[in-house]
Amino acid sequence: MTGNGWAISAHGLTKRYGSLLAVDHVDLEVPAGSIFGLLGPNGAGKTTIIKLLTGLSDITEGTASVAGHDVRRDPMHVKQRVGWVAAEVILDDDLSGWENLWLQAKLQRLTDWKGRAEKLLAYFELTDRRKHKVGTYSTGMRKKMEIALALLHQPEVIFMDEPTIGLDANVRRMLWELITGVNKEFGVTVLLTSHYIEEADRLCQRVAIIDHGKFVAIGTPSELKGRVQADFVELETSEAVTAGRLAAIPGVSSVAQQGPAWVLRVSSAEEVLPRLFQALRTDEIHRINVEKPSLESVFIDLTGKRIDQAGSDVQDYRKFYMNVRRARQ
Amino acid sequence: MSTATETLQLPATLGRASDGYVGQFSQFTGLYVREMLRTFRNPFVIVITIVQPFMWLAFFGGMFSTLPASVLQGLLVGAPPGTSYLSFLLPGVLSTGMMSIGMFGAMSTIQDKRFGFMKRILITPTSKATVYLAKSLGSATRGLVQIPVMLAAAIAFGVTIHGNPLSWAASLLGLVLLGLGFSSLFLAITASSTDWQTPGVVSNFITMPLMFASGAMFPSAIYPPWMKAIADVNPVGFSAELSRSVLTYGQFTGHDLLLLGLLAAFAALMIGIGTALATKYLKVE
Repeated sequence: MTGNGWAISAHGLTKRYGSLLAVDHVDLEVPAGSIFGLLGPNGAGKTTIIKLLTGLSDITEGTASVAGHDVRRDPMHVKQRVGWVAAEVILDDDLSGWENLWLQAKLQRLTDWKGRAEKLLAYFELTDRRKHKVGTYSTGMRKKMEIALALLHQPEVIFMDEPTIGLDANVRRMLWELITGVNKEFGVTVLLTSHYIEEADRLCQRVAIIDHGKFVAIGTPSELKGRVQADFVELETSEAVTAGRLAAIPGVSSVAQQGPAWVLRVSSAEEVLPRLFQALRTDEIHRINVEKPSLESVFIDLTGKRIDQAGSDVQDYRKFYMNVRRARQ
Repeated sequence: MSTATETLQLPATLGRASDGYVGQFSQFTGLYVREMLRTFRNPFVIVITIVQPFMWLAFFGGMFSTLPASVLQGLLVGAPPGTSYLSFLLPGVLSTGMMSIGMFGAMSTIQDKRFGFMKRILITPTSKATVYLAKSLGSATRGLVQIPVMLAAAIAFGVTIHGNPLSWAASLLGLVLLGLGFSSLFLAITASSTDWQTPGVVSNFITMPLMFASGAMFPSAIYPPWMKAIADVNPVGFSAELSRSVLTYGQFTGHDLLLLGLLAAFAALMIGIGTALATKYLKVE
């Protein structure tokens, strides 16, 4: 493991694509054996950070060390020590499960891998499908297969890019258990990216909130939540309601507009809501939503927007997956 | 998922080469075998690879089969009297076939980029040069499939195959070198592309002129000077001439050895330039 106890350590990490600053001077330290989350909207730079840390993309500026090796100077040794689980589930669909493992073993230069591969297949309950082409696997099985590939060479760090995107609720819960299990049982450091609040909150010991390529906050989920000494009330109203009327309600400390909705920062939702209903007529309120301290409210507090609305182009990922699968068939 | 903890007790160490320079042989063989598995599991690819040169023989050869012997003799300058057009054409079709197979390697590379598999490869200790060389050798190997089929078809059409095992080996080596050279060239040109259409366009652009200006279909002696100038330095022509000498005329001369040397130089040059370009420009996605 790494000498200083950090599985990942990056300073001033920066990536520029032409004039676009995709990652902007990020400092990151991930203790060995922990699960670390990068939480942010689509297009915030999460995937780019993974690409930089795995040597897949060149670092424009700054330093990074992963599993004890400098990513810029020694990328091949970093790559021998990291595993990767892609957001879009990347396997060779024309090969069987076992052949995918075989190829991974060849690419990682393993000579004695079959015993471990068999145990991984058993752990992920894929043993009886090992000879079938992975193109015939269900989405959950494909994801498991990908994690088995990532674990085959005993990596010190696994990068999981949006591990549960596009999965239904059951598979997502199954994967959460799996990620926690892999971290504990295999002692592997996990860096995952997500734009699901619940996922980051539930899995990660530490979370960095990222927006427009910058870390806007970093800490344990409870530290981050404790930082926001406020609740948020989100409401859609008729046009007669103005910012001035909302700001005048006692307990409302700020009013912002996001799309069709007002976002009110309030001292306590329980105290402010009755006053809000007095100040506005019920027919003026079309929708109301209370955000208690959560990673979502942290994000709202720091950036003034919700994570799922902040992406520059919020994609329909299910549709995206269907297209990918269709193209493969 | 399995809950029994003992299933997780995995061997502590895996056989792995020691630190320092990260060798590439294992990755190369893995990627090469993958190319082969993918190719030979796709019956469609095999059928097309085989049928295409066969059609050349049938249609192009058929077109000339009824020409009066005197006309043919005038056309096939330098060929011994009585040479059938099909036996003249066969080495040419074998050679032009090896030229276009590079397109498959380029397409498989673009597929890997588009489906993200290139990321899966390059996130392991595998260099871009290794990926490039495995693809290049993979498509050259694929091209070899058509050779026995072509020979069998030619024999069925009544062509007599001359030569001996040693000269056949030289002819085959020439075809392999030609295939390696062109698949390296195709892959180098398409290294930075992610567009499905690129390999087809590049293939048409390169294949057509080099096929006609090569002496593969007709003796270059009947060409206008500018086409003959191209034919004189065209590797497709080198290979066609070498194989024609062996398979059609049953000879293997010092000139043929020179042709083999030129084909080796062509392959080495293309692989060298291609590896350098791929290292620099091979796109991940």
